[in-house]
Amino acid sequence: MTRTPLRPLARILAARRDGENPDSIERENLAARHEADRDTQRERAEGRLLVLGIVFLCAFFMVGLKMSVMAGSDPVEPKSAASGAQIVGARADITDRNGRILATNLTTHSLYAQPHQMIDPDRAARELAAIFPDLNDEKLFQQFTGKKKFLWIKRRISPEQQQAVFDIGEPGLLFGPREMRLYPNGKLASHVLGGVSFGREGVSAAELVGIAGIEKAMDSELRDPGRGDVPLALSMDLTIQAAVEHVLYGGMRLMNAKGAAAVLMDVHTGEIISLASLPDFDPNDRPKPLTEGDQADSPLFNRAVQGLYELGSTFKIFTTGQAVDERLVSRSTWIDTKGPMTWGKHRIRDFKDHGPAMTVEDVIVESSNIGTARIAMMIGAERQQNFLAKLGLFKPVPVELVEARGAKPLLPRKWSEIHTMTVSYGHGLSTSPLHLAGAYATLLNGGRSVVPSLLKGGKPLGASVVTENTSAQMRDFLRQVVVRGTATLGEVEGYHVAGKTGTADKPKPTGGYYDDKVIATFASVFPANDPKYVLVVTLDEPVETSGPKPRRTAGWTAVPVAAEIIRRTAPLLGLAPDVEHRRAQGVTLVNN
Amino acid sequence: MSYLEYQVQTVPTGIRKVLHVNWALLVLLTAVSSFGFLMLTSVAGGDVSRWAEPQMKRFVLGVIAMLAIGLVPLYFWRSISGIAYLVGLVLLIMVELFGEVRGGAQRWLDLKFILLQPSELMKITLVMALAAYYDWLSMARVSRPIWVIIPVIMILLPTAMVLKQPDLGTAILLVAGGGIVMFCAGVSWWYFIAVTAMVAGAVAAVFYSRGQDWQLLKGYQYDRIDTFLDPSRDPLGTGYNITQAKIALGSGGWTGKGFMQGTQSRLNFLPEKHTDFIFTTLAEEFGFVGAFSLLVIYGLILFFCILSAANNKDRFGSLLTLGVAATLFLFFAVNMSMVMGLIPVVGVPLPLVSYGGSAMLVLLAAFGLVQSAHIHRPRSR
Repeated sequence: MTRTPLRPLARILAARRDGENPDSIERENLAARHEADRDTQRERAEGRLLVLGIVFLCAFFMVGLKMSVMAGSDPVEPKSAASGAQIVGARADITDRNGRILATNLTTHSLYAQPHQMIDPDRAARELAAIFPDLNDEKLFQQFTGKKKFLWIKRRISPEQQQAVFDIGEPGLLFGPREMRLYPNGKLASHVLGGVSFGREGVSAAELVGIAGIEKAMDSELRDPGRGDVPLALSMDLTIQAAVEHVLYGGMRLMNAKGAAAVLMDVHTGEIISLASLPDFDPNDRPKPLTEGDQADSPLFNRAVQGLYELGSTFKIFTTGQAVDERLVSRSTWIDTKGPMTWGKHRIRDFKDHGPAMTVEDVIVESSNIGTARIAMMIGAERQQNFLAKLGLFKPVPVELVEARGAKPLLPRKWSEIHTMTVSYGHGLSTSPLHLAGAYATLLNGGRSVVPSLLKGGKPLGASVVTENTSAQMRDFLRQVVVRGTATLGEVEGYHVAGKTGTADKPKPTGGYYDDKVIATFASVFPANDPKYVLVVTLDEPVETSGPKPRRTAGWTAVPVAAEIIRRTAPLLGLAPDVEHRRAQGVTLVNN
Repeated sequence: MSYLEYQVQTVPTGIRKVLHVNWALLVLLTAVSSFGFLMLTSVAGGDVSRWAEPQMKRFVLGVIAMLAIGLVPLYFWRSISGIAYLVGLVLLIMVELFGEVRGGAQRWLDLKFILLQPSELMKITLVMALAAYYDWLSMARVSRPIWVIIPVIMILLPTAMVLKQPDLGTAILLVAGGGIVMFCAGVSWWYFIAVTAMVAGAVAAVFYSRGQDWQLLKGYQYDRIDTFLDPSRDPLGTGYNITQAKIALGSGGWTGKGFMQGTQSRLNFLPEKHTDFIFTTLAEEFGFVGAFSLLVIYGLILFFCILSAANNKDRFGSLLTLGVAATLFLFFAVNMSMVMGLIPVVGVPLPLVSYGGSAMLVLLAAFGLVQSAHIHRPRSR
């Protein structure tokens, strides 16, 4: 850096010569130097100022941006990684269609210990063991004097027990609130409700997590904190459920069956009014799953939904319905029923000989396997499969039960012609009683596809599967089954029951079929002329022994039970008996 | 470059000074403070006397002090800035010895008539001392190491004492404010780059060593750092303020819930709702519009200060103005960022809005210095 000297000799000498004060030159130069200094300084300062301004501006925009992002966002309760903070104990109630409580919550307390805060672990252990006989005081004492800083003692204690523990006066014994699921109706609708257990557990709360039934299927809805106090309303009716279970239990005992199931459903909306499976259990004290043997024998097993059975002759109406709908036959078409019918190495027999030929209507009324098989051959395998699929018989029922998802119908591996024939009368294809109820509702409500639902309001009707006319004819056929066919015990005065029996031999686990074990099913709708409800009753291994030899067919077992259920529930469902029919009842034939 | 070397004739004297006060700045300061009065009324549930009234009294007192300081010639302030810095240091030491402990920190000094926070005072006296130092130091020496170490010591001495209180927020403000003054004074870029690199390296080393054999900190210390950096890990403890504040900001939306309608802050969900976290009340009740308006007013204050500094040929006045502006900027930027979760929570109030006597008086007095620099700035010939 070159600098001008403050007192340049040449100028000083010149100034002296001119008689000027040389100091003024120094001052002048000093001022000039200052000026130059200040200019560089300003330049630099301005550069720095600009940088500072830009930094300020950036910060300004960042803060403004964050502000707008936060203003635009919804306020969300932050969730934490810390354990326990996000445990929400709340769980919505479940009610029936009329608002009566099926499941609710009860606040109890859990008991835990913080041994490092204990004053007298020995006394605490002894007194605790006195309150809870299942606790061992020596073991407790070991735990209290061990290294653990926290331990659970009891997950749920009653108010009396809580008071007793409180009275010990031990500061190391602490209580945490616990919501507990309570099913005030006990065993009623146990399979529908399922059950809950504790999920993640914290000191101040524990999650109630659904483990079965609708509690599991609707778990996230029930636990939704945004739900508030709105209960989950089911399509079930508590009163009718009680009546159905009561009658079904009596029927099961009377018919010596080892299990029973019933489904009562609105044919138009698919709302399940009642769904029962016996034996049942108390969801307040849920039994443990079986550790050995067949899970189907456990009371936890929902026969109506999980039980996949060959439902036998009840399927015949699907075959006939399709044939009539596709105009392959009419009700008076004659069908060859000469038996036994042989197909390759297979033989198809009827329960009794029906003669060489009968009308389509009588094939249903008399339940002829041969006649149905011949009709099925007219339809063919492919069309038959399409039709059955449309009735929902090929897929799990999309009902709000977790068990239903696993109940996928068992289909023949290869759908050959012999399968077309056997499936036509209900063998070789296993479905649940709920599948059957859905298919009957679809076929008989005027032909609109029905999806079973456990929620109030049901699900919207689907596409039309058969015509209104076909549906009406099928109802008429089924009505004749009750009036003069295999289900005469199913007549309920004033309610025009129409239905079809089905008796299927139970398959052995080793292959083949049992001779003396059957699944007896009665699928019905009522009233026949304007159907409102479908009822499917299934008995597992029934034997009716009032006659000279044991009777197992559905006509003697499932049908009277179903008739009793209809007799009891129809008035509760708000159906008035048809008085027109009383006329015929009053007539007594007297032979003079 | 000395003030006296300029032509002082153009600098206003006597009562004429009043005309040259930076009135726009005063209006903006009043606007910001008014936000504060409104919010303090709101968080007190409509009770003006609880927080808003004392705050207003202090504001009036502060404005009078500001004007009084502003009318005193700047050379007076420059000549006392060294003494002021020393007094500030002594007060900080006195806090250490006789201070009042409140809220777990020893920050207050009972001077009988006022509870003083010397750390607040220090923010300004440090800026003054640094500005005077660089005014005295010739331009050629600014970047010489020996002349850089002196101001660094001047900054670190009070910072160390403040950290001991402990008051992380003020410590950050002192370091950053002092750094900005040094930067504006023209200290070479390389020092700043070197310091930044060293800090980054140290932080990286600390984190990199985690889980290694030569781990620099203990495990629980890392846990504390984690929670400090991410308060949502502990929403009921350290993170409680911040999570509640986020809810308040989110629920305010664009236009807010309306004056006195904020639930989050008024229902006592928020601790410190009238001090460090008052911004959440503003954001909840007046929404984005209100919060952004406040930000814009702060921005305007900064703008006027920078403008004044840029037009001020006097080095002391210019640096002092920038230092005060930087302090204000750090106050509100750090506070808003911390409330919104951009940075970890350090205790920094929202300037002129949060309830608090020392901070308000000191800040207004500092703007008095800005006014003095503005009034007595050398005009062009």
